[in-house]
Amino acid sequence: MQWGLQQVRRAPLVLFVVLYTVVTGGPLLWVATMSLRTTAEIFKDPYGLPMPAHWEKFAEAWTKSNYGTYFWNSAIVVVIAVALVTVFGALAAHCLARYNFRGNRVVRFLILSGLVLPPQLVMLALFQILLDINLYNTLTGLILVYVATHIAMTVYILEGFFAQIPQDLFDAARMDGYSDFEIFWRVTMPIGKPAIFTTVTLNFIILWNEFLFAVVLLTDDDKRTLPLGIMHFTGSHQLDVGMVATGLMIAILPIIAIYAFFSETMIKGMTAGAVR
Amino acid sequence: MSVITVEGLGKRYAGAAAPAVHDVSFTVADREFMVLLGPSGCGKSTVLRMIAGLEPITSGTVSIDGNVVNAVPAKLRDIAMVFQSYALYPHMTVYENLAFGLRRRSIEQAEVAQRVNAAAAKLGLTEFLKRKPYALSGGQRQRVALGRAIVRDPKVFLFDEPLSNLDAALRVTTRNELIKQQHEIGTTSIYVTHDQVEAMTMGDRICIMNQGRIVQIGGPLDVYRKPADTFVARFLGNPSMNLLKGEINAKDGRAYAHFAGGAFSLPNRTSPSLAQHVGRDAIIGVRPEDLYEAVPPGDAAQFARLRARVVAVEPLGAETLLVVALDGSNDELIARVGRDTALRVGDNLDIALDTAAIHLFDPRTTKAIV
Repeated sequence: MQWGLQQVRRAPLVLFVVLYTVVTGGPLLWVATMSLRTTAEIFKDPYGLPMPAHWEKFAEAWTKSNYGTYFWNSAIVVVIAVALVTVFGALAAHCLARYNFRGNRVVRFLILSGLVLPPQLVMLALFQILLDINLYNTLTGLILVYVATHIAMTVYILEGFFAQIPQDLFDAARMDGYSDFEIFWRVTMPIGKPAIFTTVTLNFIILWNEFLFAVVLLTDDDKRTLPLGIMHFTGSHQLDVGMVATGLMIAILPIIAIYAFFSETMIKGMTAGAVR
Repeated sequence: MSVITVEGLGKRYAGAAAPAVHDVSFTVADREFMVLLGPSGCGKSTVLRMIAGLEPITSGTVSIDGNVVNAVPAKLRDIAMVFQSYALYPHMTVYENLAFGLRRRSIEQAEVAQRVNAAAAKLGLTEFLKRKPYALSGGQRQRVALGRAIVRDPKVFLFDEPLSNLDAALRVTTRNELIKQQHEIGTTSIYVTHDQVEAMTMGDRICIMNQGRIVQIGGPLDVYRKPADTFVARFLGNPSMNLLKGEINAKDGRAYAHFAGGAFSLPNRTSPSLAQHVGRDAIIGVRPEDLYEAVPPGDAAQFARLRARVVAVEPLGAETLLVVALDGSNDELIARVGRDTALRVGDNLDIALDTAAIHLFDPRTTKAIV
């Protein structure tokens, strides 16, 4: 192959992309190989290939190690929280973007100021509040906390997108006889789909991996979410590396699925408005 | 039967120093096509939006068939509107766009289909019914927007500059199409535009607005021939009316217009009717088509001859525009002459002015002197 000027010019970029892929993809690949090996095998040869591959470890993690429960807890909490945060976030974003009501700016400021609050800051207060209303150590409590802490980012992303929808479309729908809520549901939501997929994907990924609130607000083993469950394998005296790796692989599967499903619309949502 | 009456309509936006719309009153008769004409920002779209119910009314009333609808929400006024941006729902097909307004009115599925198909056939949209708006040309989108209004069979149509996003050629054909549709359907319509050609060709009557107020209402030729003030005089007509500073004088019972470039008698005016203005300043208005290269055959006495020099020649094909500077003043006039003119820049001529077609305006009020 002849190396032209263009290839030479492009070389640094290609090198950067390759390095980036190795740095990010390498550990994932390593954990993937470890998930098919036993802890003893891993300690003997940390970078060895999974030969033979212990597929039965996935079944074992799911049944014996309570992963099934953790997985369903995570699924319930994240799906409900993402659904609520999306619906309420979209409603708030629609109102902020569309209506010029009294106090509009104050409401926007209050909601968006949630973006800058570090979670540690509110942890103690949340703990006390959940205790007071008997929601400490419940999945419902965790769901409410997730909705509250992630609505700011959701509103922020959606409002920016909704504000770009031309006012004429809303006026046309009003002339066509639709009420404000119907317009939100039948015009804003379908047109805002790329932005909504973006927030659904981001919130899903973030909440699926969320550890801090879960570890503080849940104590019972049968209420643990996946990140806590994985943590459970790293005891104070022993570390079952092989099982942690298997658990990690189970944990990231839904995220990969969600991302594969929504990534195209999500990128559309992130770049919408940039190109006219 | 739908009559729209607007009385003393006013709009003031919060924090604005002056009202956007001030004391606007007019009546649109049943089946009439009324055009609101004016420059950008004159308040014509705001008036339309208040009639539609999309904009709260600060003062005055809007009535449909004698019922005041100020407090009636837009969705209950039974008005359809065509927007400048077409406002087609991007996530719906042409069929769904047309059916959207009908579905809300809980009309049976079969009738929705029948009405949508009929409107689509009328507008030549049948083959595009399954397409989304992004896959349509500008003209097709415009027709969908019109179809969405037609299909609902409303009491009133409102048009907010619906042709301004089309290119020049398409605008002419779409304009003709719209006129044809309006004659067939005959629904009471209000059409907002800043394009005087659209206003002149489409409107049964034209309501001309400036700075939030109505300046004149009348038939297209009436407002063209008898402009109420210098704004209307200059706004209608392309090129616009020539306006010269002068003075009105009287002698032996006849009225004269004097200006730096000369003087001529006013044949259609008698000194009694101009009595208040004799000896005072006046603005003398003359349309480009009332200036001639040579006196046309007929009553030569009706024409005044003014000595002038050609400063620019603009051949437009069907006609030629001459810009001439009058001797004895710095005033420039634009004349619309035949395409065969041999005049060149720098040539001198005695340009003929039809004194019967002169317009006079009071410089203090800018209103026409009648």
